[in-house]
Amino acid sequence: MTWVAAALVFWGLAWGLNLRLARGTSRAARLAVPVLFGVTVLVLWEGLVRGLGVNAVILPAPSAIAEIIPAVLPLLWADFVQTFVKGALSGYAIGCGAAVVVAVLIDRSPFLTRGLLPVGNFVAALPIVGVAPILVMWFGFDWQSKAAVVVVLVFFPVLVNTVAGLASSDRMARDLMATYGAGYWPTMWKLRLPAAMPFIFNGLKIATTLALIGAIVAEYFGSPIVGMGFRISTGVGRLAMDLVWAEIAVAALAGSAFYGVVALIERRVTFWHPSQRARV
Amino acid sequence: MTRALPILTVLGIILILWYAATVWMNAAFVRDQAARAGTSVSFAELVPLTMAQPRPVVPAPHQVVAEVWKGVAGQAVTSKRSLIYHGFVTLESTLYGFALGILLGVGLAVAIVYFRVMEMGVMPWAIISQTIPIVALAPMIVVLSNAMGIQAREVPKAIISAYLSFFPVLVGMVKGLRSPDAMQLDLMGTWNASGAQSFWKLRLPASLPYLFASLKIAIAAALVGAIVGELPTGAIEGLGARMLIGSQFGEPLIMWAALVAAAVLAGALILIVGGVERGLRRRMGVPA
Amino acid sequence: MKKLMLGAALAMMAGGAQAADDVTLQLKWVTQAQFAGYYVAQAKGFYEEEGLNVTIKPGGPDIAPSQVMAGGGADVVIDWMPSALAAREAGLALVNIAQPFKSSGLMLTCLKETGITAPTDFADKTLGVWFFGNEYPFLSWMGTLGYKTDGSAGGVTVLKQGFNVDPLLQKQAACVSTMTYNEYWQVIDAGISPDDLITFKYEDQGVATLEDGLYVLEDKLADPAFVAKMVKFVRASMKGWKYAEANPDEAAMIVLENDETGAQTETHQKRMMGEVAKLTAGSNGALDVAAAERTVATLLAGGSDPVISKAPVGAWTSVITDEALK
Repeated sequence: MTWVAAALVFWGLAWGLNLRLARGTSRAARLAVPVLFGVTVLVLWEGLVRGLGVNAVILPAPSAIAEIIPAVLPLLWADFVQTFVKGALSGYAIGCGAAVVVAVLIDRSPFLTRGLLPVGNFVAALPIVGVAPILVMWFGFDWQSKAAVVVVLVFFPVLVNTVAGLASSDRMARDLMATYGAGYWPTMWKLRLPAAMPFIFNGLKIATTLALIGAIVAEYFGSPIVGMGFRISTGVGRLAMDLVWAEIAVAALAGSAFYGVVALIERRVTFWHPSQRARV
Repeated sequence: MTRALPILTVLGIILILWYAATVWMNAAFVRDQAARAGTSVSFAELVPLTMAQPRPVVPAPHQVVAEVWKGVAGQAVTSKRSLIYHGFVTLESTLYGFALGILLGVGLAVAIVYFRVMEMGVMPWAIISQTIPIVALAPMIVVLSNAMGIQAREVPKAIISAYLSFFPVLVGMVKGLRSPDAMQLDLMGTWNASGAQSFWKLRLPASLPYLFASLKIAIAAALVGAIVGELPTGAIEGLGARMLIGSQFGEPLIMWAALVAAAVLAGALILIVGGVERGLRRRMGVPA
Repeated sequence: MKKLMLGAALAMMAGGAQAADDVTLQLKWVTQAQFAGYYVAQAKGFYEEEGLNVTIKPGGPDIAPSQVMAGGGADVVIDWMPSALAAREAGLALVNIAQPFKSSGLMLTCLKETGITAPTDFADKTLGVWFFGNEYPFLSWMGTLGYKTDGSAGGVTVLKQGFNVDPLLQKQAACVSTMTYNEYWQVIDAGISPDDLITFKYEDQGVATLEDGLYVLEDKLADPAFVAKMVKFVRASMKGWKYAEANPDEAAMIVLENDETGAQTETHQKRMMGEVAKLTAGSNGALDVAAAERTVATLLAGGSDPVISKAPVGAWTSVITDEALK
């Protein structure tokens, strides 16, 4: 019980500290608040698990998870490469690239655009746990089927966003290009695509989380004996919960880092957009 | 007609591609079977054989339609073989999860907009929470609810569903609550509006378009969550359970029919949310 | 759900003034004839006769029965002995209280066209196994044969099978793990004739391990009320199993009644029941200690990566079956 009490006291203190830090606007303060929040969650978790005597087979304490990480680091790395680098990243690149290309191509035909978007929204609503076993059956067990699942998941959100983006350049700007005598393709390269970038990046950011989740879920339905999804599902079966949580931590880290990288690229590419201005 | 024609054209193209894929991908098995029987099979014989397999790699569209029809019209609605019955089970969990997700999303959004500490501390973690694969957390949620004495399957399913749907609601609501510009907020000030009045009469109505855009995404996410949640709770009922059993016991047509039913359900839910949005906008006087 | 509640209400009314004892059983997989004995005992009233109100929870992917039990979601679970022994070594004290399944139904089914004729031909081939508790006998066998399972040259490449036999049908694996009562028949149903297959039964290879058994948590056995409850449960369950063996078709229909997904078929379940009856035949529920020790020996001999590192102590008890079979 002392563990639980100590954890609650820590929570109270950290809350108070956070309130004070939140008044500051320096970068250090901006970083400290979420970090402190996360640390508080970990402390509460540790306190509750130890204080209430929760079985490690149900929920291991963060200290137990941290303890096992050095031992299984090569395993975590191999899984990361298999799932994220080979599966998620390749699927992401193919899916997003294809979506942008298709959006540009169907832009020529408003007829096709009107037809493809509703169908695309329908396909995007297909539950992945239904699609994944079918794709594993078609593409085999290795990373290719995981990449295929990721392609199916990310294609339509990026397509919908790109189409919205291509339509976002305003009339006056397009008329200006016409007065310069610019044809369809120069207008596309110099005006419409750059103007579409904020929308495209919105889609790309959504796609980052979808890519990782897709690759992991796809591994539940058949995989070689390496990969994050594989490790998580078999870890639950072997009651190795500390390994499962270590993998979850790696997945969360990888997903967040991926999102952060795309957000950083977005800041460089769409520096001109109002959303990139410092908030008052 | 102008709206339907493009969609029908695209659907027609997809149908043709689907039939082609059926023939192409099922052909290998037909040829293998013929080789095992010691015969060979011509192309003309191949095509109908590829479209009538009980365990196809790619079922032909008419096979899927027949199976869906059997599940919808060929059974009593309360029968456990009825797709409508399983659809309702999944729908129930989806709606519970959706309601919970809206509560959580809107609640957190209000807190984030009004309290700086919440914005700085919680928002990054909300984003990170979506990178944690829910399929990994789902068994843990089920075991923890059991450990806390909750035996009903609906509770963990609703929690998993809410986990996936709260984030779009949160993001949309935060954007929406922040959408009134400085002039409009100042105007409320000149009318001596209290904080609560400013919230209910300005911020909340202004956030509705953003909220509804997110609700469409959120309800699809809630459906996916409900289906994912059916697996660790025993795969007993629901469209996800049917997909699993169909896949596991070598009945791919059952799996495809359940998949189509899930997609139709998702589409219908999104249309309903869109309809509610249009009705609300008309009442609020927003130009269509 | 409605049927269960109605059944439970009726059972409670039938129990009259006597409050029925609640027992929750967590199955290892989804509702199928593999667990027919328990469904038959419930449907035929054997549990009611003993004054028990039994809730049968189906399993599925992502459900580790021992984890559910550790979380208080079940009183007794069905598990395979290798997985239970591994859990015991990992710190969760599972104890076997009954063993309805006498023989092992695990097999490795290969396509003849891959050229495999004997276990010595497995080198450099791709073999499938489901994991989630069922990989232990497989890994033991590979260890005994001397094959590395990491995909290196001269070893075997292991595939985590999904929930069906498509890897074999699509030729993504040379061999897949099958059960005599389920996956093997799926392969036959898919149109492959037995002449095109070569099957290795774990029983014939001398590496069989004990399969479906009833397990409880060790600390619960210290409670005499719990032990008494389990005695009644095992007695009624074994009665259910023997009835199922004698009346396989009726048992299959009972299982079908309990399948809430409506995706199971009569043919599947009748055939499954027929095959399962062969595995439960000859067992009265009591664990054959010699067989248990053979299982332990097989697991310890698993080469460089044994499933368990030392012989378990107190992993099984005859306290319940001695009482139940008096």
